[in-house]
Amino acid sequence: MTKLIIFNFLLGILFSQSSLAQTEKDSLCLNINLKYKDQILELNKNYISRNDTLQINILKFYLSEIEIQYNDKTTFYFQKKHHLIDVEKSESLQILIGKKNNKIISKIKFNIGIDSLSSVSGALSEDLDLQNGMYWAWQSGYINVKIEGSSTSCKTRKNGFQFHIGGYLQPNYAMRTIELSRNESVNQNDNLNVEVDLANFFSEIDLKETNSIMTPGKKAMQLADFSKNMFQLK
Amino acid sequence: MKNQFKYLFLFLGIAISVGFHWIKTTPIYFDIPKGFPKPVYDFKNNPLTEEGFQLGRHLFYDPILSKDNTISCASCHLQQTGFTHVDHELSHGIDNKIGTRNSLTIQNLVWNKAFMWDGGVNHLDVQAIAPITSEVEMDETLENVVSKLQKNEKYQALFENAFGTKKITGQLMLKAISQFVVMLTTANSKYDKVMRKELKFTEMEQKGYNLFKTNCASCHTEPLFTNNSFENNGLKIDETLNDFGRMKITQNPNDSLKFKVPTLRNIQFTFPYMHDGRFKTLTAVVNHYNSDIQKGKTLAKQLQKPMRLSDNERTEIVAFLKTLTDTEFLFNPRFAYPKENN
Repeated sequence: MTKLIIFNFLLGILFSQSSLAQTEKDSLCLNINLKYKDQILELNKNYISRNDTLQINILKFYLSEIEIQYNDKTTFYFQKKHHLIDVEKSESLQILIGKKNNKIISKIKFNIGIDSLSSVSGALSEDLDLQNGMYWAWQSGYINVKIEGSSTSCKTRKNGFQFHIGGYLQPNYAMRTIELSRNESVNQNDNLNVEVDLANFFSEIDLKETNSIMTPGKKAMQLADFSKNMFQLK
Repeated sequence: MKNQFKYLFLFLGIAISVGFHWIKTTPIYFDIPKGFPKPVYDFKNNPLTEEGFQLGRHLFYDPILSKDNTISCASCHLQQTGFTHVDHELSHGIDNKIGTRNSLTIQNLVWNKAFMWDGGVNHLDVQAIAPITSEVEMDETLENVVSKLQKNEKYQALFENAFGTKKITGQLMLKAISQFVVMLTTANSKYDKVMRKELKFTEMEQKGYNLFKTNCASCHTEPLFTNNSFENNGLKIDETLNDFGRMKITQNPNDSLKFKVPTLRNIQFTFPYMHDGRFKTLTAVVNHYNSDIQKGKTLAKQLQKPMRLSDNERTEIVAFLKTLTDTEFLFNPRFAYPKENN
């Protein structure tokens, strides 16, 4: 009897393993590839932007309300609404969307940041938990994008720059929606690979002048616009 | 034999799943005092339980929330003084650092729409991260507080009792603090008893009440003694602070020098007064409104004309204000430091 139980148990493990492997192969992932120009982004590495040499120490941002649009005009709305992407947490760079199907993906759509309703809803859980450090203390609201680092161009303490981009109240509502079309030549079996190129953000900024934006307002709105330029669907 | 096992497993399965749901909590029903409006706080998203309240109470009184374990919420919010910090113009926190404002009271917050002197905080549940992360108050991160609590056996048990999980999160911690704070209702002062016809004002208090209704109540509206708005009450700007109040949050010049209209409940004990604690006595406060109002673009419309009250009338208003003292609230053992078995 005991042998039978152990046998069944092992068999069970075996099956669960193989079904797990099945899931990975059949599932559609959205991969976030963080880059600086043509290199994979690394923290604390020197990069050149305009006339500035810069290093990035912190990079965290929210993606929310991911939608996949198919060429038959149907849309898939991903149930898990908010995703905190953190360069230091590799597991956050791969979002498991669901099972693959035979339809052809034409576009994906998502928000950079958090909607105003979530910003006034008190203490939320998981990716929206305030302990993630993406919520302002003295002026409520989520920080949609947090980019910190240093550059010799910044005449600040330790040459630091800090961009905490957010704001949920009009006229300074800093969430941005983007739509990215998928090239038809892409193999439909491939995952969705979203490239996030920080060079396209810093190319818009003169770090000597703009190096500390940490409250909602006009400047944050401008930076939110620049942050849209980072995203591309490969 | 096989069938026996099947039933055994079935029974075990049911027993385990029932076990997970078997953590009993005792619900608390929030009392709305007679004549008070509907609460702003949505209890549906944070159902009150005795266990949650007690957890929140422990957190409120525990310096574990600060970086060096020296400052608790109660350091600046003492029960006996209406849950505020008395005797200091500006409240102080970690390493004796001094903040830029006088701490507010914690009373009747379920009826409050926006928090802090400038209304920068939009929900009670997220209020606590402001003092926790402020460099001059607790100088901690929420992430680190959660990890300290997670290592603490007392809190593991308290969280399990309250929320049915030992896994502590920022969300649960903040909700627990709210469960304590929302229970801090004060509605049993002499004023309340007079309104309920259980007591009578003295002649002086009654005169003060009449003057109050004409001169103060449009902003300090009964029964909460605030209308939840932000106003410029004609204080001369303190150039050592240059605090423009609500304008910093809204970036709207029309909000320059506007601050929250605070409740006046228990005001006898919440000195000093105003956002920068500039007045030590109620007499000084009434004198300010009577004759020291600074004119300015954003001055509250109610304060455009000076009150011009006589000496006697000013004394009568102060006498009325003292009827807002709710001793039962200030000394309620249920809101005090949680001693064991209490």
